[in-house]
Amino acid sequence: MIRIGNASGFYGDRLSAMREQLEGGHLDVLTGDYLAELTMLILGRDRMKDSSLGYAKTFLRQMEDCLALALDRGVKIVVNAGGLNPEGLARKLDAKVGYVTGDDLKARFPEALTANAYLGAWEIADCLKQGAQVVVTGRVTDASLVVGPAAAHFGWARDDWDRLAGATVAGHVLECGTQATGGNYSFFTEIDVTRPGFPIAEIGEDGSSLITKHDGTGGAVTVDTVTAQLLYEIGAPEYLGPDVTTHFDTIRLDEDPRGVRISGVKGSPPPDTLKVCLNTLGGFRNSTSFVLTGLDVEAKAALVRRQLENAIGDEGLTWTLARTDQADAATEEQASALLHVTIKTTDPKRAKGFSRAAIELALASYPGFHVTAPPGDGTPFGVYKAAYVGRDEVSAKAVML
Amino acid sequence: MKRPLGTIAGARSGDKGGDANLGVWVRSDEAYEWLNGFLTVEKLRELLPEAQDVSRYELPNLRALNFVLHGLLGDGVASSTRFDPQAKALGEWLRGRVVEIPEELL
Repeated sequence: MIRIGNASGFYGDRLSAMREQLEGGHLDVLTGDYLAELTMLILGRDRMKDSSLGYAKTFLRQMEDCLALALDRGVKIVVNAGGLNPEGLARKLDAKVGYVTGDDLKARFPEALTANAYLGAWEIADCLKQGAQVVVTGRVTDASLVVGPAAAHFGWARDDWDRLAGATVAGHVLECGTQATGGNYSFFTEIDVTRPGFPIAEIGEDGSSLITKHDGTGGAVTVDTVTAQLLYEIGAPEYLGPDVTTHFDTIRLDEDPRGVRISGVKGSPPPDTLKVCLNTLGGFRNSTSFVLTGLDVEAKAALVRRQLENAIGDEGLTWTLARTDQADAATEEQASALLHVTIKTTDPKRAKGFSRAAIELALASYPGFHVTAPPGDGTPFGVYKAAYVGRDEVSAKAVML
Repeated sequence: MKRPLGTIAGARSGDKGGDANLGVWVRSDEAYEWLNGFLTVEKLRELLPEAQDVSRYELPNLRALNFVLHGLLGDGVASSTRFDPQAKALGEWLRGRVVEIPEELL
């Protein structure tokens, strides 16, 4: 059995989770997911400003605090915090570090700000087999952070489909941190989720697992909390990944005194192509929300819309009138509707000019004019797209420092 | 009886690029049998009128249905002008809708 914990579900997750997981009890491996589709865009913009960046900086802070503790306890760290610059992050860590590279396909997709193939578990396993104490990757599938250590530990073969699929399910449960232990859980009133603990998977040689958490931590691991996380961000029951296709309709969950057992998972060969996460700069956006209170809400909305469009034109504007107002309301807030307007444009000056035009209406528009927050200067926005490339177009590599 | 769907069903939703996914599960085999018959694509569209192009998948082993709402989020979270651009609360919206639930399941 290998005991694998998770200490991060996104870039910005609880900073102290790393220490909580290391101090809370025994682990063999501690993983962390830092990369959402949106995060790749944020890191891409970091890298534009400074080419030595492009990784998750919070992980470096966690390592300053906890690397010695992890080494002392013999816990291996496996994270995708490398983002767009795994080597740059790896070189900042004082340990036996391996990193995974080859996911960057910017040369193949030059129009994109970021273009990264979703790599799998095998390069992570390579690093661990070569004795890495810390493994830093860029874009790998979230579940690979768990599958890689399990595959290395048990010496699984690349066609051990059921084992790989079982570990993929454990990885999917762990990848969003406390969403497996009662965070964001529909039946939250039934358990104490004030401060849910981070999840742990005890994975067996056959790929089955027990989902649990350290004793004394908050939240709960039940069939319901695990089911909720299994349903997060999935599509068809055939869950495609770079290493295996996992059949979610074969998962069996059983309550256990220490958590939830996962068994019965079937796997089959993965597709011939790898998914690529593409982020391009779509332009600039800005927005504001007008508060419309009391009578004549529709007419008030029509007036301010006409005024703003007369000032700057209607190109790129999206209007939404949220009728949150109630008639004859007892509070001012309940008497108010919100008119949201967003501008999306390729012209940063137009995004900025939107603010000025909106604010110039302040004494010249509908009665009771105010906004929830004044609009800013506008910000760039990204457009996400998935692409698919042949496996032979990607050369993933494990590198030991 | 008329009750919010969330009285007996849990849900979790999120984003995948421009698509949203919405998983709904119940806690007994009897409730799943009802849910599977009740929550068709047409019913989902009726309860969440924003849903247009919808795929529906059955996961009886988890007593769950998974819906993919194609194109709900436009060009993805950073670009979407939708209220709740990551569809995080789509499931809780659905749970709040009042539907006819058999009394024995309540």
